[in-house]
Amino acid sequence: MNTKSIGTVIPNEEAQGDSMETNELLTGNDVQEDLLRQPQLMMETLSVAENLRDNYIRNTARFINHLRRAMDRDNKEGQEISILQTYSVVDAAWEEFQNELVSFIDGGIGQTELSQVPTLLRVGSYEVHVGERDMAERENFGYYPVIFGDLEGGSKERRDFPDIIRITAELLGGLSALFRNPGLRVLMFHGPLVYLMNGYAGHTPFTEADIDLFLKHYSGDQDQAKQFKEEFLNEARLDIYPAMAEGRSDEWISCRLFEPLAWIAFLYRKLISEAKTREPRPIIAGVVERGRSREFCEKVLLERVFRSLRQKGNENYFNEMFGLSNLTSPKNLMDVLGYTDNLFLPLLLDTGEYSEHWEMNKSSGLGSGEIRLPEESGSSTVDFSCLREDNQFGFPPVKGTYIRVGENTEPIRVEVFSELGESQVEEAVRRVYLYSRLLPNYGFPVGLDIADKFAHVPNWMTRAYDKMIRHTLGGSLQKGAISEADMRRVLVRAIYMTPRDWFLRPTVKG
Amino acid sequence: METEKIVGTLVGESTSKEFRLAVTPEAIREQDIIAVDATLNETEESGELKEIRIWAKVQRIERINPFFPAEAGHELAETQTEPMDTVLSLSREIVSAVCQVLGYEQLTGGWSGKLESLRYPPKPATRAYDPDSKDLKRVLVGKLEDESKSAINIATLSNRDNVDVEVDGHAIVTRHLAILAMTGTGKSWTARRIIEQLSAKSYPMVIFDPHGDYTGLGKIPSLSNKVNRYHATLPIFEEEADTAAQIIGNLASNPLSSAMIALFGDLFDASRRFYEAEGDERIKRINWLANRLNDDQIRNGIKPNLWLIANIADAAVQSKSDASDGNTNDVEYLRQICWENLPSVKGVALQTLAGIYKRARRAASQLHKMETVNQRIAGESQPMPQNREELVQYGKISVISLAGYTGDFQATIYSIIAEELFEAKVNERLQLPFLLLLEEAHHFVPGRGPSPAQQQSIAITQQIAREGRKFHIGLVVISQRPSRLDETTLSQCNSYIIMRMINPTDQTFVKRVIESLGEEEASLLPDLEVGEALLSGQMVNFPILVKMKEPESRGGPGGTNAFDHLKEVHDREVRDQVRSG
Repeated sequence: MNTKSIGTVIPNEEAQGDSMETNELLTGNDVQEDLLRQPQLMMETLSVAENLRDNYIRNTARFINHLRRAMDRDNKEGQEISILQTYSVVDAAWEEFQNELVSFIDGGIGQTELSQVPTLLRVGSYEVHVGERDMAERENFGYYPVIFGDLEGGSKERRDFPDIIRITAELLGGLSALFRNPGLRVLMFHGPLVYLMNGYAGHTPFTEADIDLFLKHYSGDQDQAKQFKEEFLNEARLDIYPAMAEGRSDEWISCRLFEPLAWIAFLYRKLISEAKTREPRPIIAGVVERGRSREFCEKVLLERVFRSLRQKGNENYFNEMFGLSNLTSPKNLMDVLGYTDNLFLPLLLDTGEYSEHWEMNKSSGLGSGEIRLPEESGSSTVDFSCLREDNQFGFPPVKGTYIRVGENTEPIRVEVFSELGESQVEEAVRRVYLYSRLLPNYGFPVGLDIADKFAHVPNWMTRAYDKMIRHTLGGSLQKGAISEADMRRVLVRAIYMTPRDWFLRPTVKG
Repeated sequence: METEKIVGTLVGESTSKEFRLAVTPEAIREQDIIAVDATLNETEESGELKEIRIWAKVQRIERINPFFPAEAGHELAETQTEPMDTVLSLSREIVSAVCQVLGYEQLTGGWSGKLESLRYPPKPATRAYDPDSKDLKRVLVGKLEDESKSAINIATLSNRDNVDVEVDGHAIVTRHLAILAMTGTGKSWTARRIIEQLSAKSYPMVIFDPHGDYTGLGKIPSLSNKVNRYHATLPIFEEEADTAAQIIGNLASNPLSSAMIALFGDLFDASRRFYEAEGDERIKRINWLANRLNDDQIRNGIKPNLWLIANIADAAVQSKSDASDGNTNDVEYLRQICWENLPSVKGVALQTLAGIYKRARRAASQLHKMETVNQRIAGESQPMPQNREELVQYGKISVISLAGYTGDFQATIYSIIAEELFEAKVNERLQLPFLLLLEEAHHFVPGRGPSPAQQQSIAITQQIAREGRKFHIGLVVISQRPSRLDETTLSQCNSYIIMRMINPTDQTFVKRVIESLGEEEASLLPDLEVGEALLSGQMVNFPILVKMKEPESRGGPGGTNAFDHLKEVHDREVRDQVRSG
């Protein structure tokens, strides 16, 4: 593996050899051209404060230019603290990965024409035995459908309801792949490996029937499915629910409720514990293609930049550059200038390079929230902090890194479980790089793209579901089963005619 | 017993002309014939359903892998990576086929093999299957099953070699056939197969063979007593005087002057009249001519050819010379028997006559060379019969070798014979129906820039193509350059056998002229294998792709491998040297 330090501190002999290459990147014009190739930056120009717009690109270019120069200089001088360590995986080759069994997981959501509310979910899995010539042995596709209307739990009124179902279903799909294949070498998810869970807190718990519905699809072994449930409920009874729902934990247990976040955290832990029993350990990764994440730049890169500036007594560097006074911390800087990881990293990584990893903060935001139980009108306060990663029953810690897989694509983020060992980052990144080289314009692992296409809910399926809904509701209307006037009017309009037809008919009465 | 194999399911929009099939991988090939069972309402009133079988031809098969992005292909190529060694998906291919509806057969009331036009599309989600060979053969044969005397067995289905393809021989011998293919792809092979099959039905045929492709016809046991081979001679005396003058000029590589042409008419008529005598009178004339020219070879006989014209000219010049010396006997003799106004030929005209003599002699010599080559290639052959009607005999094949002659001579010989046979048939002197087979037809009926000789052969061929059916004269035209063929003649052919064709002009021409050839079939032409052919027109129920069956007979020497031939000749030379010590 080649390493290259763009910056300070950790002396790296190999990095010295690359200084000429880095020097080539140092002219202001080059940086400005690089910046102008970032569509995200152009969009950002429009969103920053008006007084910043004129010089936004020029000043950003100056900053990147200075950053590169400083990194190059520090690199040469062998400074102790590196602003950014990068590694190269351009030497990754398919020969290394022959005979590996790889599983890609992705979920897709379908909507009917009747409304914009999602109705269906399909989680697709694509398993491939690399190098296998026998087509019957080489590939295996699977998909697991969930009709949202079949679930009792989850807060259907919330916009993120489909997401919580998708996260659960994808995770179960991953677990299923792992249990199904003792020799699984790579398990790769489309999207974050662990989501920022605080955003999903507060959903109504799933009922046991919901969990049975999930497990029916994902577990080929019903005894194992039952064991899963009981294992979770036991942990919930002993530790999780008492900490989470003080005073109501017995009620939750007696109703055999599955609080979504606790359940998801449990599934993550199952994934990790199962992976730990395998030798070699499966590489489990999530790959995120785009987004506005800024955690890496804010918590890692700019922290070091500001420290370096303070060290040199140049604290006002950004304020002077932009003519402001509040650019005094990484957070402020990113808030005001709208910088993101995806804006900086294409300018700092060469093709085939990935950044040093950092411990991501996925669950520290979990705190208290409200939950309404199934068929309950009111809500009660619960404490989700017990699911933070520092807790025994919490979400697992995750490491993240960015890799640039192509000349014309933005870096993508790769996330792995910290508990599965140091080698996970590099092992995952080498494969992500190679898988993505097969999709150079998209710059994303081709296997995930295949799973994505496979998981896509086809139009005919949603249209069929749409017709079924129309038929059922139509029947209810005919039978007089729906009596409420407003509801009747809305349904008649939705089922029988377009809004235009409706409004053009003056004699129609509700 | 053969079981019908499911090959796919109807998907998407189907029409009464075409439907799309989701295909079981590897189950079918393009040009395969498949079947779909369906029901149709008998009548609107009765509401009774009738069981039908829809027959269709696979026109185009499309195969895609939606999970294999094109950009991955570029990367694989650049890094020289085997797709199997990556995580790319290679198993999820989608194969679909576009099928052309050929018609339907009623299942109730017995199989007819007759296809009716479908007027209502087949139902989506219906299964399509590969019919068993017996059913397939029945549909291919169609009405021929009841009229087996008309069926001739010439091929097998290209994709199913256990299914024989029989075509309607009646359509071939009455409505004309064109065999079109580039050289070396099996057109003579195909023609020989058809000839053998028609001969088995004792159909009289006259074959014009410009390259000796049909020399082997008589060598197979089944045809040994049926084939008469003829070496052709130019019947110069049957031409007009102007044409004969032109032929002499062409052969002598020195056209006749206008004075010569003016005089040639008399000479030509005199030569004809000189030849007309029979029995003792002819012998007397031959002896006179041999004495006059002091050439004993003449005593062996005379023929109505250029030698005779040259000799009459020479005799006339010598006789006039004697007359100027006071001996007018020979001039008088010629005047009496054939050349009434010879005495008036004097002065410059005599020199002109001497010029004609020289050209006629050179022309005769050239023509003789051609005739020699022709006879050698024709092998064991006989001269053309004086009475051309003898060429048409029940159960016989007359092969007229034209090899060795230039194109114009071939066209001339052909048109004289064809005209005579046509006239004999029209005038009912000739009763038997017959088939004329014209190999290398673009030389005889070219589409553009015909020579005078070719204009004559085009005229008679067009007449036969247009009117031959009325008089039971069939025509088979064979060509490797269809775009050079006369369009009128080709469009009068109602059946076609089209083989591999690479030349784009030929392909375009064929597409334009042959209405029964669909776009998809036409696109196959450059990719057909040797021996593969598209059958189209009246001789088949619908256009089909076939593999022509091998004829029993062998072709001319062109079919022999060059190195085998070299070895054979060399071995023979060595043997001869050993024998001679």
